Amino acid sequence: MLLPKFDFHEPATVTEACQIMAEYGVKAKVIAGGTDLMVNMKKKLVSPEQLVSVSRIEELKKIDTAGNMLKIGSCFTVADIAASEQIGKKWKALCSGAKALGSPLIRNLATIGGNLGSARPAADLPPSLMVYGAKVVLKKKSGERVVAMDKFFRGPGLTEITPDEILTEIQMDAPPAYSGAGYINLGIRQAQDCNLVNVASFITLEGPGGVIKTARIVMGCVGPTHLRAPSAEKLLVGEKPTEAIFAKAGQAAAGDCSPINDFRGSAEYKKAMVGVLTKRTLGIAYKEAMGQ
Amino acid sequence: MKKLIQLTINDKEFEIAVDPNQTLGDVLRYQLGLTGTKKGCEMGDCGSCTVIMDGKPVNSCLVLAVQANRRKITTVEGLENENGLHPVQKAMMEKGAIQCGFCSSGMILSAKSLLDKNPKPTEGEIRSAISGNLCRCTGYQKIVEAVKSVNE
Ligand SMILES: Cc1cc2nc3c(=O)[nH]c(=O)nc-3n(C[C@H](O)[C@H](O)[C@H](O)COP(=O)(O)OP(=O)(O)OC[C@H]3O[C@@H](n4cnc5c(N)ncnc54)[C@H](O)[C@@H]3O)c2cc1C
Ligand code: FES
Ligand code: FES
Repeated sequence: MLLPKFDFHEPATVTEACQIMAEYGVKAKVIAGGTDLMVNMKKKLVSPEQLVSVSRIEELKKIDTAGNMLKIGSCFTVADIAASEQIGKKWKALCSGAKALGSPLIRNLATIGGNLGSARPAADLPPSLMVYGAKVVLKKKSGERVVAMDKFFRGPGLTEITPDEILTEIQMDAPPAYSGAGYINLGIRQAQDCNLVNVASFITLEGPGGVIKTARIVMGCVGPTHLRAPSAEKLLVGEKPTEAIFAKAGQAAAGDCSPINDFRGSAEYKKAMVGVLTKRTLGIAYKEAMGQ
Repeated sequence: MKKLIQLTINDKEFEIAVDPNQTLGDVLRYQLGLTGTKKGCEMGDCGSCTVIMDGKPVNSCLVLAVQANRRKITTVEGLENENGLHPVQKAMMEKGAIQCGFCSSGMILSAKSLLDKNPKPTEGEIRSAISGNLCRCTGYQKIVEAVKSVNE
């Protein structure tokens, strides 16, 4: 299977990479791990004239947990996220997403930046990043901007990243005390599979035994982009965390999405599974919030 | 335009000219004659093209040869040494874990990577480590038994 022809660039710094992107614009594509782009190029879905590899830019491979904040470079690999103790301590649902992605072979190549850049509605990392309130840093020759994950996806395969921009970093604050998050993905098999439905939930409690102060729920595979479940979130706030209220929130979340029938499953089944996964991820979030 | 790259493959240095759109898998097979690395799906699904790059098993069909420049590669050809076959290779033979053999080089490299980090893995850890390597013959059971037997 031949790849289309292209010129290859391998900048050593972000500044250099931004210069190349500014010069070529829509003719160029960034390649990180290549696990999404190479497949699309082989299928001739995209044929960039210029390929700009960011995988040798050291500053994009760093992770920083100083100051109660997590900053992950866009080229940090999914395997390294899955194995990171630092991330697992406060942002466990992100590790769950990373562990669920592809196979060990794919995870060793795949990057967090590429997972966001590919903008697949079934992708494993966006749900947890969105419930943690993550932001991404987009850099170009003439400056940089910070975009909230909630505003980042534009549709399947479409993001806020403009042709001259590079995603350099993902940032998120540490969750406040008495918070927890959960992520579950449902597929036909455990590895190498596109998700049927995936959900992440996040809650903060007033205190031990207190009511729910904040709730965020994000659903994947049930719309053109990952979706928040606003009525489920609203229903939870001010309530005591119980199995019953989590089940109710599940039903509300199912009503917040409008999946399509496809070969992976019927719309009805996906809705039902959104309900189940919402309830279960809330259960996981609650346990973590209580320090269990 | 071709680019000159350096690869360390199975502890030997190579300097070769490659087209930017050649994959590492293709360069290994067609330019260097290392046909132990197989090509199945070419889409990252089957794992028959697995090589170890800088200590980590990856799909060589998804890596550009130019991206592998100055990296260290181990292919299945690099496992045998003066003491004979690698213990994983021996175990696979002894346990009857090879039928047609198409998946074996990838399977062996994934198993070796696991055992290098975790010499006594559980069955779950073994199944997870080889979950990117598809086998259409054995039903996996004998492969799992073989990997398990290596350090027992
Ligand atoms: C067999 C197989 C199984 C898979 N399973 C899963 C799965 O279970 N779950 C899942 O979520 N995904 C899965 N994927 C998809 C893919 O592996 C992931 O999305 C991965 O995280 C992509 O990262 P990458 O570094 O390889 O991206 P690349 O392929 O390098 O890039 C993907 C896209 O993002 C853009 N991009 C990358 N980095 C940047 C950057 N820094 N700035 C701007 N744009 C950028 C690229 O231009 C491209 O459009 C699978 C892929 C394969 C081949
Ligand atoms: S040939 Fe590379 S994964 Fe199938
Ligand atoms: S032995 Fe034939 S594919 Fe595994």
